[in-house]
Parts: sequence; structure tokens; C-alpha cells
Amino acid sequence: MKPAKFDYIAPTTVDAAIEALSTANGEGKVLAGGQSLLPLLNFRMARPAVLVDLNGIKELSFIKLRGDRIAIGALTRHREIEQSPLIASKLPVMAAAMRHVAHLAIRNRGTIGGSVSHADPAAELPMLSLFYDATLSVQGPSGRRSVAAEDFFVDALTNCLEPDEIVVELEFPVLQHSGWAFEEVARRFGDFALASVAVSVRRKSSTIDDARVAVMGVADTPLRLRQVEGKLTSIAIDGQTPDRFAELVTSCVSANGDLHASAEYRQHLLGQLAKRAMQASLAAKG
Amino acid sequence: MSNDMRAQPSDVVRPRNVGASIKRTEDLRLLTGRGEYSADRKPDRPLHIAFLRSGQPHALIARIDTAVAQASPGVVAVFTAESISGDFKPVIPFSRMANYYATPIMPLASGKVRYVGEAVAAVIATSRYLAEDALELIEVDYEPLGALSRAELAVADDAALLHEEAGTNVLIAREFRKGDVAGDLEAAVVRVGGRFEMTRKAPLAMEPRSYTAEYEKRRDAITLYTSSNIPGIVRDAISESLGLPGHRLRVVAPDVGGSFGSKGSLYPEELLICIAARKLGRSLKWTADRLEDVSSSSQAFAEIVEAEMGFDANGVATSLQADVIGDVGAYSIYPWTCGLEPVQVVSFLPGPYKIGSYRGSVRGVATCKPPTGPYRGVGRPMSTFVAERLMDLGAKALGLDPLEVRRRNLVRPEDFPYRIASGIIWDKTGFLECLDAAAEAANYEQLRIQQADARNHGRLLGIGIASYAELTGIGSRIAVAPGMPINTGSETAKITIDSTGAITAAFGVASHGQGLETTLAQIVADDLGARFEDVRVIQGDSDEVPMSTGTYASRSAVLGGGAAKHASRILQEKIKRVSSHLLEANQDDIEVSEGKAVVLGTDRAVTFKQIAKAVYSDMKTLPVEAREELTATYTYDPINGTTAAATHIAAVEIDPATCFVRILKYVVAEDCGRIINPMIVDGQVHGGVAQGIGAALFEELVYDDDGQLLSASLVDYVIPSAPEVPVVDVVHIESESAVAGGFRGMGEGGTIGAPAAIANAIADALSPLDIEVSILPMTPERIFKLMEQARLKSRGKADE
Ligand SMILES: Cc1cc2nc3c(=O)[nH]c(=O)nc-3n(C[C@H](O)[C@H](O)[C@H](O)COP(=O)(O)OP(=O)(O)OC[C@H]3O[C@@H](n4cnc5c(N)ncnc54)[C@H](O)[C@@H]3O)c2cc1C
Repeated sequence: MKPAKFDYIAPTTVDAAIEALSTANGEGKVLAGGQSLLPLLNFRMARPAVLVDLNGIKELSFIKLRGDRIAIGALTRHREIEQSPLIASKLPVMAAAMRHVAHLAIRNRGTIGGSVSHADPAAELPMLSLFYDATLSVQGPSGRRSVAAEDFFVDALTNCLEPDEIVVELEFPVLQHSGWAFEEVARRFGDFALASVAVSVRRKSSTIDDARVAVMGVADTPLRLRQVEGKLTSIAIDGQTPDRFAELVTSCVSANGDLHASAEYRQHLLGQLAKRAMQASLAAKG
Repeated sequence: MSNDMRAQPSDVVRPRNVGASIKRTEDLRLLTGRGEYSADRKPDRPLHIAFLRSGQPHALIARIDTAVAQASPGVVAVFTAESISGDFKPVIPFSRMANYYATPIMPLASGKVRYVGEAVAAVIATSRYLAEDALELIEVDYEPLGALSRAELAVADDAALLHEEAGTNVLIAREFRKGDVAGDLEAAVVRVGGRFEMTRKAPLAMEPRSYTAEYEKRRDAITLYTSSNIPGIVRDAISESLGLPGHRLRVVAPDVGGSFGSKGSLYPEELLICIAARKLGRSLKWTADRLEDVSSSSQAFAEIVEAEMGFDANGVATSLQADVIGDVGAYSIYPWTCGLEPVQVVSFLPGPYKIGSYRGSVRGVATCKPPTGPYRGVGRPMSTFVAERLMDLGAKALGLDPLEVRRRNLVRPEDFPYRIASGIIWDKTGFLECLDAAAEAANYEQLRIQQADARNHGRLLGIGIASYAELTGIGSRIAVAPGMPINTGSETAKITIDSTGAITAAFGVASHGQGLETTLAQIVADDLGARFEDVRVIQGDSDEVPMSTGTYASRSAVLGGGAAKHASRILQEKIKRVSSHLLEANQDDIEVSEGKAVVLGTDRAVTFKQIAKAVYSDMKTLPVEAREELTATYTYDPINGTTAAATHIAAVEIDPATCFVRILKYVVAEDCGRIINPMIVDGQVHGGVAQGIGAALFEELVYDDDGQLLSASLVDYVIPSAPEVPVVDVVHIESESAVAGGFRGMGEGGTIGAPAAIANAIADALSPLDIEVSILPMTPERIFKLMEQARLKSRGKADE
């Protein structure tokens, strides 16, 4: 299980990286943390002619508060996000989700740019970028453009990038909400999710006046459930809300099945997690 | 527990080492990266092998074209079955068993492929990278013959034959019978039964299989470094196959990173690497990647058992019958045969119980999968799962507590030696003592109260018990695998004090994680009278002893330890004779301890170093006839072997929302006789239970109907990791066995008890929903399905 032959380039600027990709003429691939790419290379499922290593581009690694948004450089490691006080205070759902991302050794290498670009349907950061309405900053030979997270994920393991484009940073608007929850079930601690639900709500007396809902692990891409969000703002909060919410979520998602969980079981998990997530979100005093 | 069961005071004068939790000698090098595994060998300019493996489950090989691959950069040779056909004799896993067909072992698929993952061609190149590049350039035309994906379908009359010469896909069939089972079942007050299944599992050692063949041109000799736990068997088999005498074929198992049985058979790749080394006159290396290891190393279980047990009104099990169908994969393994795993299921099924009548029949059926082979516990994880489920079903039907039903059926202290219905004889072992000790350590009664309380709150809490017995340290009178022509009943120790006074103890056993380097040194130190740290243990090297088989079947402490004790005693006698001259004292007045011979009650002493000098170098001190070479060799055969037993108790809780199982408590009370090193015994139990948890809850090799392996990577083949393994309490019942040293084998037990105990705990947890457990692993998916069915059923009832 050895990769096929490739050339290796280690640029120190984004411009140089773009140039290398352009020169590779569609045969190039960028290397970030390598946690998803290296197995693909070893299985010879990915056979780039040129590997462009981003790890020497120091300017791609940062977490910053920019007005009412948090900006994260594409090369920022999972572990830095997990441990960042800024993330903990401004993007609490992300902070809670990070400890579900693989294992420590993998979090030390894996990057946010790599995770969203890899677009695994059961990965946390792609889902969170939808959840928070993130904007991705993408650079190519003709400069930078912005892509909404909603437009970025095309299919399982497929994003909307051109072969000579890279993600340079992501911006996450901060939510001013009263309660939130991140619920996930994985076979083992650190495994990819069988199903996961993220919820955040802003309460106004006995109603919810703003809500965010996203799920993952159940479809070919993570899903933002805007329909459910809309319905939540029109119902009164009572003891039935978590169950109602679970019904809303399961009625607008039809889960996939695979070796680890059948569609029926995933659908069941989704409902259970949605219920737990709403219970926790409503329990918080905001 | 009764006191006479405790180990008697040791027969060693002052045992300083046996019984002590001495830290493992091997750990310093293994944990600091200084170990030397087969892949660490660095012979001169080695070549690297990559195997082209079949993607077809069952097909004729119509044509193989290797021309382009041959011409690829760095490629030295490409071998196929045809191009090496004159270089070896096939290895036949012979057995005297009736109704058995021995499939020959070939280095590369010949004429036909029989499972996905079977090696078809070997590329030999200057690097593994180049070898793998060339694999892509080999063209193979296959004529598909249709996959045999399930044993139950492969026994059909019209099923295609995997081995035409056998005339059937049933490669082995056997039946054990005692008494009138039909009559006893008829007369039984309570009859319980079911269809039980343990799915296919991978042994999954941390180190994949790995071989380095070092070729010595000047005498056409090979040293094979192999990640094997049977280096002696490998040596003898390859010697025969290649016509190389043992002094030109040395087989060494250096540091080996686990086996769990997957490195306990001869492999086609081991043959191929030696054939190629000789053909090319070069040293060669190959290490399986994880995909190759999971899809071509021997696998485990894959059995379905229909079984029934009858009880009388007193809760005594009177009768047991079982029909086992084992999916043994495409080939027999050498030397154990494809009968090893499934036949042991029927021979161990009555377990530690006094069941009067028995019928157990077994069929091992060929399918398009890698062979099943030895796996930690061999046969007994399955037999224990079935017997213990039946015991619980019986208890439920009789209204007895599961602890009580076992107490009424276990072989009692006064009954030993006891021959169970399948013919196995248990020597005196603490069956009931283990049961009681486990119950006490688990606080069983309290657990039941806790459970009742939890149930009142709608929680699904369950308690499961599993008792079992196993045969360990098997001697020459019993075959490790049925009808096998090789001797697995003895082991040799050769202990030498050289001219510097250093002590070397050489064995043929081959530790692959058990810590034998430590435990054998503990025994030698005590019985010879040496300091522990002065004893060097060599093992797993065919040049060190004339004959050996290796480490498997929980034999090395008993056989290796027994040989160590005897050889140490003989050498100690020599030391006494020599030192009686040097100390001018009567031999009987000399005590050997801590590396010195001392005249009792005096301060007159000579060290081993001084003794060695007198014997070997200083030709003035001793009369010629007293210059005895300070070496002793002993081959020990325990003749029958000895029993080991345990009771496991697990408490679990099932989350009805996620259907996940959480293990709340896990207790093992085990009897492995006199304990050599309590820390190592605990470690073996912990590791075994962790693997048993894998079998109970996680691990499953899934082959689809086309014979393709769907769970070939560790993303899809899920094993328990540290957070999934609970703290395991271990209680030791040290009832001394009759073999040398009083030891019993104990390396496999954890894996035997855990699947059954957890299965029973899950069934107990789900009993309010009227759910039974009959297949392992009990994944959340399976629990979900069972709970859904139960929900539908109870809704149906409510509607009536
Ligand atoms: C055992 C294991 C368990 C895991 N479990 C989880 C889990 O539970 N949850 C989870 O979210 N993840 C999990 N992962 C994946 C992990 O989070 C990876 O780090 C992540 O998916 C990829 O990040 P990376 O930086 O390693 O990217 P790489 O592997 O280097 O690259 C992945 C892909 O993204 C492309 N890429 C990388 N950076 C960029 C960029 N800036 N712009 C454009 N394309 C880019 C690469 O070309 C490649 O195609 C697991 C991984 C392993 C090995």
C-alpha cells in the first residue's frame, strides 16, 4: 500500500501554491494535515502528479475576531480550534463539537481547510460551516472570491473548487443566542458520526425567535434545516417542544444507510439526538 | 474457597521470583522502539515483494501476462504459480480424521482463485513502491465460477465445488456421541434451544504479518525471520517443501507484535519468500499492509450452531445436542487443518458441566473467504457462548437464578478428574471456587438489587455470567488439532553457563507478547539458583533447539516452564557436584542460590563465574572427570495437559435511545494454577477481555454475496479502543495443577469468557422486552432491530 509516484512542492506563499497548482494543469493536489489525503494516496485512490504542501505557508494559520465574525485560517489545526478561548466564547457549538473530531493525534495534524475541502458527510467542521453561515475565502489564479458554505458542498467528498483553487480562510458570524447543543453518536469515541445534530436558539419569553439547525452523518452532505428553523419560530415552547422538534427534523430528512448503520437506525438516532439537543438548548438560561 | 485448592508451598527452597510481579524484561526495548521485528532486519541490498491479489472470489485463471510488469523499472522478477512450479512441493495439512479433505497449500494460486485476497503473482523489485507500480501492469484473465459466499448455501447438492477433487464442499465432518440424547431430551422437564451465531472475525495483531528471508550464498542457506508464533513448525514444513535440511534453513521469530492465532499457521507468503530467495540468490523482504493482513491472514469463528439442552426438575442439565456448521473459508491451514476451530466447538461444548448425554455434530464447509484458523480461545468462545446462553435460558425457564443453575451443574471438587460428555478430561480445578469468587467480587446480590431498582425506573440493566473450562499445556497423548501427524506435546529447554559464567536459557517456544522472556527467566532463576537479571532467555530460534513447535494453545508456561524447571534442576546438580570439589564439602551440604554455591551454615561460597572458570579454563583446580560441561537440556512432555477455568461476570446498561451497550462492571475469577507473575496474568486477562468485548460488541468481517470483503480497513472493521474497555477486576484462584511447577495455561481465557458473559448481560438487560441474544457481535444496529421487532410485537399483542 504505497502511493504512486508524485512530485512534491513546498511553497511558502499562497501565490506560489496557486502557481504550482496551475502549472500542474489539473494534476495537482494540496496537502494540509494529510489525515484524509494520505490514506487516499496509499490506496492509490488519489494519484496526483504534483503534491503541493501547504504546511510551510505560515500566514494560513490563525484564529481572529473580526468585528462580529470569527476568521479562521485554512491551515489552523483542529486542536487549536478545540483549545481556543475565543472559539469557546464566540462559537460555543464549534467548541463543543471539536472534541468529537477524531483522536488527539489526528486533531494535532488535521486542519479546518482540509476538513471542509475533504467534505466528508459525517465531519463536524463542514456541518458547522453550514450551521454558522460561514463564508469561505477561496484563492485561484485570478485572485480571491467568496463562497457561501451553503454553495460549497456539492456531494459526498465533493466541493465546488476548481483544481487550481485553495481555501485560504473561513469567516463565521457570531450568533447571539440563548441556548445551544451539539449531540453526536459515533460507534467509538472519536469515530465519524453515525448521526449528529446541532441546535442553537434565541428565546423570547415563551417562543423561539431565531433558530439554527443542522445535521450530519445522515446524507451525502451535511444539511442545514432551514425549514425546521422557520417552523420553530412559530410554535410556543412547552414540554412537547423537544418531541415536536424531533418529528420536524426526521420528517424532512431521509437518512442514508451503510455498513455501520441502516437507514432506519440512523433515522431513529436522528430523532433521539434532535430531542436531546432541543431539551438541552431550551434548558439553558440565556 | 477451600484452602486445599491453594497452591502448596513451592518445591523451590526459596522462591524469590516465581509468584512475584516482576516488570517485563522485554518492555524496555519494546516500549522505547529498540525491539527488532522481522521488518527491522537489514540484510544486504534486499529486494522487496508485492503480491497481486485476486479481486475475484472464485474463478479460473485463464491467462496471466507479466511481460510489461517484468520490464517495469526496478523489477527483478515476476513469479506466478507456473514459473515456480518446479521449486517446491505443496504442503499438505494432513490429518488422520475421517471425512476430511486436505487442501494443499500453494505459494501462489494455481489454476484457480478461491477467495478475494488470494495471492496470484509476486513482483520482486528493488523497492516496495516499484513493486506495487509493477503490480498494476500484470494482466490476468479470469473466468468467473460464481462465489460461494455462505456455508449454508455451499452444502446444497447443486452448489459449485470449490475443490473439485474433494467432491464436496464439506471439507470436514465429525460427530461426538454419548448416551441417549434423544431419550433424555424427551424426558427433560425443561428444554431450551436456539440458533446461535458468531460472525467472522479478524485476529488483528498490531504488527501485520512480516517476513525477511536472508540468503547466504556461500552455502545456499536461508535464515527466515518471520512474525510467526510457530517458527519450529514453519522450519520443518519449508525444509520439507524446499528440500533444504534444517542446518541450511534457520527460522527465527524475533520480536513479534501479537498474533492471537493469525501468525500461528504456515502461510503461502512464507513459502514464496524462501522459494524466491533461493531462485534469485538474494535476500528478500515483505510486510503485509493492513488491507492484506485483514484480507489474507487466517480468520476466526464464522459458525452457526443449532443447539438444545434439557434439564430435569432440579435444574440439572441432563442432555445437550448441537449441530455446528463452520464457514472455514477456502483452504485448510497447516498444520492445524480446517477442523481446528469448528471441531473444537463440539468437543468443548459441554464445558465445565456434568451433562449426562451429548450429541455434537460438525461440518466445516468451504467458501470463498480466507481460511479460518486458530484464534485466541479456539472453538471455546463459540462453545461457551452457546452453552452459557443455554444455561441462562434454562435458568429462566426453571425460575432459577443464573448463578444457582451453574452451581447445580458445574463439576464439583470431589468429582475430579472428570470426563465430560465429549470425552475431555478435566483435572482438579476450581470451577465452583471461580463461580463463588466472581460472584463475591462482583457483589452479585447487590447488583441484582441495583438492577431491580433500575428496572423500576425503566432503565435496561443486565447481568451476565459465563463459566468455562479449557484444556491447556497439552501433552503428547492429546492432539492439539484432531488427527494431526506432528508432535505438539513437548518442548525443550537448553540451559548453559558459559566460560564467563553467563547463563543462557534457550527455548523453542516463541513469545509474541506473552512475556515469556520474563516468566521463563523467573522459573530458571528459582530452580537453578540464579539471579533473575542474570538469566538470558532465547526463544523462537530453530537453531537453538533440535525440535520445537512454538507458542500457541496456552502451552508455553506449562511446557516451556516445565522444561525450564527440569533442565535447571539437572544443571543445579552439576553445579553442586563441581562445587563440592571446589569447596571441599559434601554435595548435600551445598545450596545453590543467587548465582552462588554456598556450603550451608558457612560463608564458604563459589560464584557461577568461578565455577565456570574451574570447569572450562583453569585446568588445575578440578580432576579431569569432574570437569562437567555446564549445560543441561530437557524435553518436557506433560502427557495429558491440564485444565484452566474461570467465571466472568459482566454488568451492562443499554441506552434505549442510542441502543449502545455500556459495560458498568466486569469481573473475572480465574484459576491458572500457580501464578508465575501476577502482573502478567492480569495483563493477559485484561487483554483477552478487551478482545472478547470486540467479539461481543464490535468486530465483524462482512463479506457480501459476491465474496467481497466490505470491512477491509480499520475504518470499517471496528475494534474496541481504550474508552470502550472498562476496568476489569481479576480474582485469582491458585489451585495447583499436577504438571511441573503446578502451572496452568492462561493466555486465552479472557477471550473465551467475555463474549458469553456480555451476551448474557445484554439478554438480561433486554429481558423486560422479551428479547433473546443469539448472534454476536451485538452491535447497536442489531439491538435497534431487536427492540423494534419487540415493539411491533407488543403493539400487535396490545391490539389483539
Ligand atoms: C482515524 C480518523 C478518524 C477521523 N475522524 C474524524 C471525525 O470524527 N470527524 C472529522 O471531522 N474528521 C475526522 N477525521 C478527518 C480529519 O479531521 C482530517 O483532518 C480532515 O478530514 C482533513 O484535514 P487535513 O488537514 O488532514 O486534510 P488533508 O488530508 O491534507 O486533505 C484532505 C483533502 O482536502 C484538500 N485540501 C486540504 N487543504 C485544502 C485547502 N486549504 N484548500 C483546498 N483543498 C484543500 C486536499 O487536497 C485533500 O483533497 C478522521 C481522520 C482519521 C484518520
